[in-house]
Amino acid sequence: MATATSVVPDLAWTKKISSPHELADYRQALLAGMDPDAPCIRVCCGTGCKAVGSLDVLEAMKAAVAAAGVDVKVMPEVKRTGCHGFCSRGPLLTFQPQGLFYQRVTPGDAAEIIQKTAVGGELIPRLLYKPPGAKEPIAKVGDIPFFAKQTKVVLQRVGRIDPFDIRDAIAAGAYEGLAKVLSGMTPQQVIEEIKTSRLRGRGGAGFPTGIKWESCAAQPGRHYVICNGDEGDPGAFMDASVMEGDPHAVLEGMAIAAYAMGSDRGFLYVRLEYPLAVQTLAAAIRQAEDLGLIGRNIMGTDFSFRTSISTGAGAFVCGESSALMSSLEGKVGRPRAKYIRSTEKGFRDSPSNLNNVETYANVPAIILRGGPWYTSYGTERSAGTKVFSLTGNVHNVGLVEVPMGTSLREIVYGIGGGIPNKKELKAVQTGGPSGGCIPIPSKFLDINVGFGKLAEIGSMMGSGGMIVMDENTCMVEVSRYFINFLVEESCGQCTPCREGLTRMKETLTRITVGEGREGDIEMLEEIGTFTNSFSLCGLGTSAANPVLSTIKYFREEYDAHIHDKKCPAGVCKPLFYYEIDPETCTGCGLCRKRCPAAAVEGEKKKPHTIHQELCIKCMECYRSCKFDSIRIK
Amino acid sequence: MKIVMDGKEVAAERGQTIVEVARRNGVYIPTLCHVPALEPAAMCRICTVELAEGRRSRLVTACNYPLRSDAEIHTDTPLLRQNRKVLIELLASRCPGSETLRELAERYGADLNRFPAEDRQCIMCGLCARVCERVGGNVLALCGRGVEIRVDTSFGRLSPTCIACTACVQICPVNAIRFEDVDGERRVIVRGKEASRVPLRRCTSCGARFGPVIDLVPVLERAGESGVPPFNASVCPACSRRNLARRLAERHFEQHAVEPRDAGEES
Repeated sequence: MATATSVVPDLAWTKKISSPHELADYRQALLAGMDPDAPCIRVCCGTGCKAVGSLDVLEAMKAAVAAAGVDVKVMPEVKRTGCHGFCSRGPLLTFQPQGLFYQRVTPGDAAEIIQKTAVGGELIPRLLYKPPGAKEPIAKVGDIPFFAKQTKVVLQRVGRIDPFDIRDAIAAGAYEGLAKVLSGMTPQQVIEEIKTSRLRGRGGAGFPTGIKWESCAAQPGRHYVICNGDEGDPGAFMDASVMEGDPHAVLEGMAIAAYAMGSDRGFLYVRLEYPLAVQTLAAAIRQAEDLGLIGRNIMGTDFSFRTSISTGAGAFVCGESSALMSSLEGKVGRPRAKYIRSTEKGFRDSPSNLNNVETYANVPAIILRGGPWYTSYGTERSAGTKVFSLTGNVHNVGLVEVPMGTSLREIVYGIGGGIPNKKELKAVQTGGPSGGCIPIPSKFLDINVGFGKLAEIGSMMGSGGMIVMDENTCMVEVSRYFINFLVEESCGQCTPCREGLTRMKETLTRITVGEGREGDIEMLEEIGTFTNSFSLCGLGTSAANPVLSTIKYFREEYDAHIHDKKCPAGVCKPLFYYEIDPETCTGCGLCRKRCPAAAVEGEKKKPHTIHQELCIKCMECYRSCKFDSIRIK
Repeated sequence: MKIVMDGKEVAAERGQTIVEVARRNGVYIPTLCHVPALEPAAMCRICTVELAEGRRSRLVTACNYPLRSDAEIHTDTPLLRQNRKVLIELLASRCPGSETLRELAERYGADLNRFPAEDRQCIMCGLCARVCERVGGNVLALCGRGVEIRVDTSFGRLSPTCIACTACVQICPVNAIRFEDVDGERRVIVRGKEASRVPLRRCTSCGARFGPVIDLVPVLERAGESGVPPFNASVCPACSRRNLARRLAERHFEQHAVEPRDAGEES
């Protein structure tokens, strides 16, 4: 694994931008120095691609360009960028200006890519993306459904710019919204614009951002602007990708918010598990300060705004706003009752505005293009776009941004490419551990994803995690998993969350090992209702959602576990076994070869059998059988 | 501000909490983690009530909800009773044998043995930690997280800052904290584990061990301008009382010019 990181350009000696108009000039100068048609290779270095070796690819590409040097007229620039979104196909790179898309690139491919594609202009078919079921690969980004069906507002620059170079961001339009604000808008006008846009908090609860800003601005005293980057939901990485790919959008959004509320101090609370986001944000703050875009007398005006990064220490509950502020103050990260709102008395008992990363990242575009433009996306109650992290049993795992109100069908099948291995879609889990499972197939496949609709059917928007589950998912196990997660992450101060979750976990664990009892479902419902209604903070009051929603929609599965001691999905190991159907088994021997426990026996071309006492239920035979002959009993 | 509690209009001042208003008007709301002298923490949640303010109706904890506008409050609905019942049953498993919980269980029809007993001897009301912060030496705190949360001293060690005021002993609703004076020391014992040992001072008059030897500076600091009432810390309370009685008697005899009967026999 390459340890090299991008060199962060030092702009300390650059002249500070001294008026909002000068930013436009600076941008023009940057653009004049860039040829829009110059070849450029963008290598995705988001966390997902980094994990599969994209930094090695980046270095190899740079080396290959340097080696090819003399042969090429115009050298392609190799650029390190943030997440492109198509995480399951990483490492990714795109060729500009043609927009060619290569996936699963290895460092070994670098020389060939430069020689064939950059110099020779020909495609390398094996690196192209082929959608599931399609015969022909697709060469261009714009033709791939995963990308073509998205609408990018928050992610507009993510994956296009080098997050470590502010000049790249400015050339792409960063800080223009701030410049517009500083060149004549009053704080009240800024708030009005946000209210017009009907932007709602993207952290989960969906509180109208403009109203929050207004009530914070109305309070006397020193104001604080806080950004919640403590994204902790399992399988969610929207905010991470924004912070890693376009940190300036967050900073700009915070600065605009600070201007609107008369604040001069901001904090970015980023979880410790996002080292890359901390790096990109730190570099972004330094460079923005060097250019006079953040800090004292921004763009030569009277407006000053300083911001710094605080890292969490790995507690999920610190994503809850009052716990976050407590942690920021250096205290234990435990939530407090919010009967007096943070906008009135928050961080250090001062009026504090807290929004999450994605919310702030929406702000510059709204200011620049206006509230009405923003409402042209989405629905009446949920305006704009939303970034989802699409994970689980779906072809195209990754980050997608769609207008609010897009149907689940479009997200899962249109963008996600459907369910792999010819499996049936069973449920979609939204809203993270506090969300619920939406059963599918049902009419819910066509619901329009938005704040209200999801809450109506017992789930929630949350921060945008979306986990697709196929028929081999056991819903009891799913709810046990989430409850277990929450037991680990509960702060423990209030009775319902601490005791209620513990008992629910105990009961669910019992059910998944075949020791479920009569009355367990009713008890889960009773404790779940109690936890949801009596807990102190948002974590507790939604903690039972995974249990309650799965009981509501998949009660028969609970019954099967408790009464028949069977796990119909074949997940809870003590509750099922595999059997080979002698009618359809062709005796190909694949399962015999794959079985790590040597539990499959049989002669070639004759039906095989499984020795139950040897079987470790690893699912290998079930997955490998091409004739669907292995049955879950 | 018009406050209606269980269908009856009650007297309330702006900013008062629901519990304060209820107590003043003789309405019962159960509490476990609340004493009027300490900042409410809303940890036990048993005081949750239904509140309708304007169009919104929701559940809030009575101990820390400040009333700021017209509101209608229900303190004893079937929904609240049901959830309080579950709450008591869950706590009973942590702390079997608690008299406080037994009384509540009777009121709400809770089954104290519904969940298997795990004797943690504590209902996590946090009162000891809060009173220690305000009165004592900030020795006890809620340590750990989630299921593992517990009352303990820093790093689980004997505390060097305890002033052995025993406020925690007095406040614990389940009697999980006690103290004993042995071998010239006062030992504060939290759930069977020693939290501190503070030497006891000797009475200069009778020689008996009495109060703990403590550093008065932090106490005086906390008392601020109001100061601490003067007391003679070198004499035990019994001697102090006797001395006072003697002085009073002497004055009486002086004033009434009566010869004390046995003036010379002072012990």
